[in-house]
Amino acid sequence: MNASSSRVDPVALLAAPAILYMLVVFALPMSVLVIRSFSGSSGPTIEAYTSFLGDAFNWRVIGNTLRIAFFTSLVCLLIGYPTAVALARSKGAVQALLLVAIILPLSVGVVVKTFAWQIVLRRDGIVAAFLVATGVWDEPQLLLFTETGLVLGAANVFLPFMILPIYSVLKLINPNLQDAAATLGASPAQRFFRIALPLATPGLFSGTSIVFSLAASMYVIPSLLIGDRFQTLATLTGRAFLLMRDERLGSTTATVLLVLSILIVTVSAWAVRPKGGR
Amino acid sequence: MASTHALLDVSGAEKTFGANRVLGGIDFSVARGEFVSLLGPSGCGKTTLLRIVAGLMAADRGSVRLDGAEITNVPTHKRNVGVVFQNYALFPHLTVAENVAFGLRVQKFAPEQIGKTVERFLDLVHLGEKASQPVRGLSGGQQQRVAVARALAVAPKLLLLDEPFSALDRKLREGMQIDLKRILREVGITTVLVTHDQEEALVMSDRIAVMNRGEIEQFAAPADVYLRPQSLFVLGFVGHAARIEGHVLTSQNGLVEVETPLGLLKAPGNFVSGSTVTVAVRPEYIRVNDASPEPDSNMIQATLTEIVFQGSKSHLHFIGNGDTPILVEASQLPRDLRPGATATLTWRFGDGLSFPPERSA
Ligand SMILES: Nc1ncnc2c1ncn2[C@@H]1O[C@H](COP(=O)(O)OP(=O)(O)OP(=O)(O)O)[C@@H](O)[C@H]1O
Ligand SMILES: [Mg+2]
Repeated sequence: MNASSSRVDPVALLAAPAILYMLVVFALPMSVLVIRSFSGSSGPTIEAYTSFLGDAFNWRVIGNTLRIAFFTSLVCLLIGYPTAVALARSKGAVQALLLVAIILPLSVGVVVKTFAWQIVLRRDGIVAAFLVATGVWDEPQLLLFTETGLVLGAANVFLPFMILPIYSVLKLINPNLQDAAATLGASPAQRFFRIALPLATPGLFSGTSIVFSLAASMYVIPSLLIGDRFQTLATLTGRAFLLMRDERLGSTTATVLLVLSILIVTVSAWAVRPKGGR
Repeated sequence: MASTHALLDVSGAEKTFGANRVLGGIDFSVARGEFVSLLGPSGCGKTTLLRIVAGLMAADRGSVRLDGAEITNVPTHKRNVGVVFQNYALFPHLTVAENVAFGLRVQKFAPEQIGKTVERFLDLVHLGEKASQPVRGLSGGQQQRVAVARALAVAPKLLLLDEPFSALDRKLREGMQIDLKRILREVGITTVLVTHDQEEALVMSDRIAVMNRGEIEQFAAPADVYLRPQSLFVLGFVGHAARIEGHVLTSQNGLVEVETPLGLLKAPGNFVSGSTVTVAVRPEYIRVNDASPEPDSNMIQATLTEIVFQGSKSHLHFIGNGDTPILVEASQLPRDLRPGATATLTWRFGDGLSFPPERSA
């Protein structure tokens, strides 16, 4: 009895390839980066961090990163949740078509998509034309090189990563639950807040975590849509390695980004943990 | 039959999905305190009718009245009609007690009252000690009882049960049927049970509405449905019966004489001479090799093909002329009869039934 209970579950071994792969290509290089950020000419030091955090500019960079990631996640959530609901309710050919429409854009590279957004967001682009035509703007303005433009472009690229996890959770929910709640006297709003939303939470959470992490670490999209004036932790890391050849700065910014992402995802996972019986 | 004290009164309910006419103008009413079953084969429209009553689906035509009020266009959450769904539809993110409390909470009852009511209904279904458990780990029978307690806790005017036993195994089912009947009688609630299991309908109901292809073919007490089925469909769906088709020779004094492959048979009924008729007889009315048959009895010859011992009784399968299967129920195993033997089967004219051909689709 004892011998068998201490043995590893054979099914768990199926995760071995993934763990090995992540160790080699992610954890190992990442640890090298972290170690480098702590290395000084005379032994380990946190000097890199104190000087990084001592600079007001870098706090603005952290602020930029979190703000852009937050608004990108928010836009994706607001568009993605209703889309996932529609997707889960649709049937047959309509559902297949919707899925293709959501997944196919992933095959268009980020660079191509971002260039397309450059055209869309120009002063004479369709977004500006639309806003002028509907009277929101008095005259055409440039959306390109603004944070709004960046959020719109990033949300467009990352939207599928919001929709698909939510959809995969929604399609497992028994559709009779809404009916059952209605027969017990729950109004449409009560059904939404007490049944639909709590049950969708795991999907909403994974989608948001994925999009937030992607948006916090994106490099190509801000480079093309907003340019050098606007720095995030990811673009700063890129500059440090590619332009400034400052490995310690690059390692530091990369580590700060990693720690922030882990922190935010963990704290929000704790905040939305299932409270009822499960 | 829109009676004045009907609690539920559905009239002229029609529903069509595309080219599929699922309900063909159904009239259905249930008296206060009554237990009624909707019995019919899969796809005959039982769930559709139930959903229309609960407001989960709109009928194309017709009206629904509950407790004297027209509710055809009232949304589900304002109807006060409880439903136990086929798969129970318990809320997976809530505990047993929270499931039962759900309706009271959304209807903004006072917390003390919610606590008391939940306790009372959990005790009623014997789940008091499971109150704080998640619903995921419950057995099928326990889930069903949570669903019943949840539906009853808001004191609905009417309770609808959609095949509540179909997810349970046979052994468990019988006990649960009796248990549920007791609970519902204790609460005194008017109930409509949807089922395709005739035994379940016979055991539980005050009245049974037998449905076929979107119509109610007979709506009567269980004994009436069994003893006086009003159509070939009802005869076939409830209980067993031998059916012998033939042509009417004469029809007088309420007795019809029919020419069949098994000879001349008489049964109660009135038909036009020459018309096609099916004579039927229930297995328990047929006697085998009766030495002194009663007068006014039908008498046929048939070959025994199989004996099925069923404990308290036996089923004897005979086959008559024209490959007509005839089932006989005997309280004792016949000693002198072996499969392959020919026997004389008799039953009184008055114990038979006669039917016109089944209506076509
Ligand atoms: N939403 C729907 N859309 C299209 N057809 C439907 C819909 N709901 C039911 N039907 C059809 O209506 C018919 C009756 O369905 P219903 O569910 O009422 O049958 P039922 O008597 O409850 O059968 P079962 O015993 O299998 O549950 C079936 O042919 C079904 O395919
Ligand atoms: Mg059904």
